[in-house]
Amino acid sequence: MNSDRNIVAISTALGNGGISIIRMSGKSVLKIADSVFSAKIPVTQFEPRKLYLGTFEHGDIKDKCLCVYFKSPFSYTGEDMVEFQCHGGMTLTNRIFEELVAVGCEPATKGEFSKLAFLNGKISLDEAEGVIDIINAESESELKCGYNLMQGRLKEQIEKEQNVLTELLAKIEVSLDYPEEDLEEETREGVLSVLKDVKTDLKNILDTASFGRCIKDGVRVLIFGRTNAGKSSLLNSLLNYDRAIVTDIQGTTRDTLEEVFQYKGFKFILVDSAGIRQSSDVVESIGINKSLKELESADVVLYIIDGSVALDDEDKAMMKSLSDKKCIVCVNKADLGTCIEIDKEMFDDVISISTKTGQGVEELKEILYNFVSSKNVNNGSVVLTNVRHIDAIKRAMTELENAIDATNNYINLDLVSIDIKNVWLALGDITGNSDNEKIIDDIFSKFCVGK
Amino acid sequence: MNKNYDAIVIGSGHAGCESALALARMGKKTLMLSLNLDSIAFLACNPSIGGTAKGHLVCEIDALGGQMGITADMATIQRRMLNSSKGYAVQSLRVQADKNKYHTLMKKVLEEQENLHIKQGEASEIVVENNCVVGVRTKQGAEYSCKCAIVCSGVYLKSRIIVGEYSKDVGPNGFANATDLSESLLSLGFELRRFKTGTPARVQGRTIDWSKLEVQKGEDNIQTFSTMTAEKPQNVADCYLTYTNKNTHDLILDNLDKAPMYNGAIEGTGPRYCPSIESKVVKFSDKERHQLFLEPEGLDTDEIYIQGFSTSMPIDLQEKMINSLAGLENAHIMRDAYAIEYDCIDATTLYPTLESKQISGLYFAGQINGTSGYEEAGAQGLVAGINASLKLDKKEPLILKRSESYIGVLIDDIVTKRTEEPYRMMTSRAEYRLTLRQDNADIRLTEIGRKCGLVDNNRYNQFIQYLKEIDELDSVLDRVISPKELKEFFESKSEVLSMNSGLSLKDVLRRANITAEDIFEKFNDILGGYSIRAIKQWEINLKYSGYLKRQEIQINQAKKQEEQSLPSDIDYNDIKGLRLEARQKLNNIRPLTLAQASRISGVSPADISVLTIYLKTLARNK
Repeated sequence: MNSDRNIVAISTALGNGGISIIRMSGKSVLKIADSVFSAKIPVTQFEPRKLYLGTFEHGDIKDKCLCVYFKSPFSYTGEDMVEFQCHGGMTLTNRIFEELVAVGCEPATKGEFSKLAFLNGKISLDEAEGVIDIINAESESELKCGYNLMQGRLKEQIEKEQNVLTELLAKIEVSLDYPEEDLEEETREGVLSVLKDVKTDLKNILDTASFGRCIKDGVRVLIFGRTNAGKSSLLNSLLNYDRAIVTDIQGTTRDTLEEVFQYKGFKFILVDSAGIRQSSDVVESIGINKSLKELESADVVLYIIDGSVALDDEDKAMMKSLSDKKCIVCVNKADLGTCIEIDKEMFDDVISISTKTGQGVEELKEILYNFVSSKNVNNGSVVLTNVRHIDAIKRAMTELENAIDATNNYINLDLVSIDIKNVWLALGDITGNSDNEKIIDDIFSKFCVGK
Repeated sequence: MNKNYDAIVIGSGHAGCESALALARMGKKTLMLSLNLDSIAFLACNPSIGGTAKGHLVCEIDALGGQMGITADMATIQRRMLNSSKGYAVQSLRVQADKNKYHTLMKKVLEEQENLHIKQGEASEIVVENNCVVGVRTKQGAEYSCKCAIVCSGVYLKSRIIVGEYSKDVGPNGFANATDLSESLLSLGFELRRFKTGTPARVQGRTIDWSKLEVQKGEDNIQTFSTMTAEKPQNVADCYLTYTNKNTHDLILDNLDKAPMYNGAIEGTGPRYCPSIESKVVKFSDKERHQLFLEPEGLDTDEIYIQGFSTSMPIDLQEKMINSLAGLENAHIMRDAYAIEYDCIDATTLYPTLESKQISGLYFAGQINGTSGYEEAGAQGLVAGINASLKLDKKEPLILKRSESYIGVLIDDIVTKRTEEPYRMMTSRAEYRLTLRQDNADIRLTEIGRKCGLVDNNRYNQFIQYLKEIDELDSVLDRVISPKELKEFFESKSEVLSMNSGLSLKDVLRRANITAEDIFEKFNDILGGYSIRAIKQWEINLKYSGYLKRQEIQINQAKKQEEQSLPSDIDYNDIKGLRLEARQKLNNIRPLTLAQASRISGVSPADISVLTIYLKTLARNK
C-alpha cells in the first residue's frame, strides 16, 4: 500500500439517482480538484467542510456541482479528501470519474477508503474486521471472475500480449546477460514491429472499454439530421413503445436531451442533437461543434433524412463525415413515397421508416439490438468493464509509447527494455503474473546459453 | 583439545575467505577450517572472475570492504568490459585470473590477517545447545567452541564426480570431500538437496594449433574491480575462439546412451545456464555450431580451459569430441571434464542475514545455499560474516536492499524463492539495474561498509575525496563552451551543433556520442584537475536522467513496504482473512518485511492488504 496514491471512487450506488457523490482521498487531491473545478474562490483556498457551488469542467464534461474539502486528519480516511456532488445518472457520474483518473487519480480498490480509514486510526478495531471481509470479498469475486467467461477471455488476451513481450524481453535480456554467445541480436526494427503490434492489439482491447460501458451504462444512440427530417418524431416513436421505463437523465452539460429505452435486455440512450441547424455555413457554428462532440462519443448514429425531397450538398457532406461511424441511415417519410437513392455501401444499414405510420421502427430497434449483440461476438467477447483493468491498459499504453519513442530515438536497447518491462508489469496487474522468473525461464528455454 | 573462538568458518572457498576476513577484520577471534589448505580460494571451474552481473557483485564486495576485487585485480592476466557497446548499467568487467596466483595471494591475505587462524581439518559436526551454536568438531578429533559458525562448504558435501561410467566420492579436482557434515546438518533438521554442476576438460596449450583460431585480446582503458587498485593490471594473455561442428554433434548424439546426464547416472539438478555440451546439442539441435572459448589457466602453467564444453562423457569420447574441434585436432587432455553432484540446503530456511531460522548463530553462504559462481559465493560470505559479527556485537543486522545492490537482489531472491537449480546472478534479475551499476558501487555501498567497520581510513578518505570531486564538478561543468570551440569537436564526434549560443559542458555530456573521456581530453584546461571517473558519474547521470528519475520514483513507491517490518513471532495461522496458501508460505519463509512477503509466490496483493491491517492492529494494541 502506498500513501502517495490519490484514489477516487464513486460513492453513491450507480443508478439513476438525482445526485451522485464522487470522493477522492490522498495528498494531492486538493490540487487535482483545483485543476477541474472552479468556484468563486480557487479550490486550494476552500475552507474545510464547507460546500462550494461551482463548475466541474474537464475533457468534454461540464457540470454544475457541489464540492467539499475535508482536511487531514479530519476526514473519513484521515487523508485530505475532496467530494464532488454532481448530477446523477450513470453516464455523467462515470465520465467525471474517468476525468479524475485522467488527471492523476487512481481508481480505488474495493474497501480501500475503509482500509485507509482504519490505518489512519479513523475507525475502530471492530470495524477493521469488516474491512478485511470487504477485501476478501473482492479477492473472492476476482476468483469467481476468473471463471467468468468474459473476464477469463480478457485475461487470456492480455496474457497473449504479455507473452509476446516476455519473448521480446528475453531476446533483449539474453544478449545483455550473455554478450559473448554468438546469438543473433535483436534489432531496433524487430523491437519496433513487436511493440507496434502490441500497441494495436491493446488499443483494440481498450476500444472495447467503450463497448463495456455500452453494456453497463447503455448504448449511446445519437439522432442526427436536419430538424425537419423527423428527428423528434423518431425519438418519440422509439420511446412511445416503452414509455413505462423512460427515464429522464438529463445530461446537464449539454443542451441535448437524453432519453432511455430498453430493448431485449439492452439499454439505449437516445441523444437528441439539438444543435443541428438548417444553414449552409453551419460548419463553423458552435451548435455544430457540440453535435460533432456528441458524434464522437456516440456508439451509433441514426442519420435521418427526409426521403420525400432530393438530397442536397449539405446532406452529402454530412453523410461523408459519418462514414467512419457506426451509422444507420433512416430514410423517413416513407409514407409519402421515397424519391432518393442511398449508397448502401457507405453505411452499415439503410432503412426506410415512417414516424407517422410507425413503419420500420421495430425493424430499427432490431438493428440496434443486433449491433450490440454482434459487436459482442465479433470482439471475441473481450469486453473491458473494470475501471482498474482499463487503468492498467492505459498505463501499459503510456509505457509502450515511451518504449517506441526510445527505440525510434536510438536509445540503447538495455534502456528500452526497462520501458518494455514496465508495459509487461502493467499488463501483469491484469493477468496477475509479474514474476520476473517468467522472463528468465524464457531465456533458458529459447536460447542456448551458458558456459 | 578445546579452543575458544568467536566464530568458526567451515570452508575456505570464495564464500569462506570473505566470511573469515570480514569477521576477523571486525575484530572477532575467528577460525577457518579448510579441508585442504592448498584449495584455499581455488578457482575450480573457469579461470575467470566477473562477467555480466557478476562483475557488479565483485565491485560491490569491494565497496563494502571485501577482498575479492583487490585479489582479482592482482591476479588478472587479461581483462575485458562486456557489453561495452551497450548502456553503462549492463557493462560488466570480466577478467582472466591466474588460477595459482589467485590462490596464493588470497592465502597470503588470510595468513596475514590479525584475529584469524587457518587450520586444515574436516568439520564433521556442528555442536548445538538450546538451538544455539556452541562449537564445531572435526573428524580429526578436535573440538572448538564458538558463538557462531558459518558453513561455506561449497560443492564438497558428499560430493561425487562422474565421468562416463566412472564415478567417485571426491570433491572438485580430486580434492577430498566432506562426508560427515551432511549427517550433522540432517540431524539439526535441515533438508538436504542434491544439485549438480560440471566443468570442462583442460588441454595442453602447446598441443593446440593456435594459428587456426580467432584471438580475443584484452582491453586496457577500462575500470578495475577495486577502487583501491592504483595501477591497472596489464593484459598479458589472450583467449581464443573455436566452434563445435557437425562431427562433434554426431559424436555426442551417437553416444547419448553413454552420457550420465541422459542414462540416469546423474540424479542432481543441473543449472540451465551452465549446460553440458551434450545438453546443448540435444536441446538446441537446430544450432549448427556452439562457440567455445579457450582460456589460459595462468602464466605458470600450460593448461587451457575450454569454456562451453563441460561434459560428463566417458574419457575416450571426450578425447574424440575435443579432437573434432578446429585447432584442437591433436590436443592433449591434461584433466578430463567431469560432472559433480553435491548436497546443499534450501536457502529459504535462512533469514536475509543468511542466519538459519532454526538455529541461532548458524550461518550459510555460497554454493551450500544452492547458488553457483565465485562471485555469488563471495558476496554471500561477506554478508554472512558481517552479520555474524554484528550479532556478536548485538548490533542491528545488515540487510542490503534490492534497490541498493545486486547483493541485495541475490540474497533476497534465494531466501524468498526456493530455487530448483543452482542460482546464477543475472542483470535481468535486478529490477533497478539502471541504478545498480559497477561504476557507482562505491557510491552506493562504501558508507555501509564503513559503518560495519570494514572500510579502512585509507579507502574511506579516498572515497570522501572522490565525492568532493563530483560535488565540485557540479559548478565546473556549468562552464559554457563557445560555439566556435564546439563546432570542430562536435563534427569529429558526429554530433550536430544546431544553435550558436554555446553550450555548457553538462549539455555537451548529454549528447549520445560524447563521453567523459572525450571532454576530459578536449577541455583539459578546465577538467585537468579532476578524474575521468568523477566526470563519468556526471555523464551517466546526465545521459540517463529521465530513466534514473523514473527508477527513483519506483524505488520510493516500494519503500514503504520495504520499511514495514514483520515481527518474528507472528503466527500466520492466527491471522483472519489470509488465504491458506499464503498462511503456509508465510509461516515457512517468515519474511522480515512486508515487501519480502509480497515477493513470495503464492502471496497475493489481497493477502498483503490483510497483513497491513493486521500489523496496524498490533501496533494499536500496544
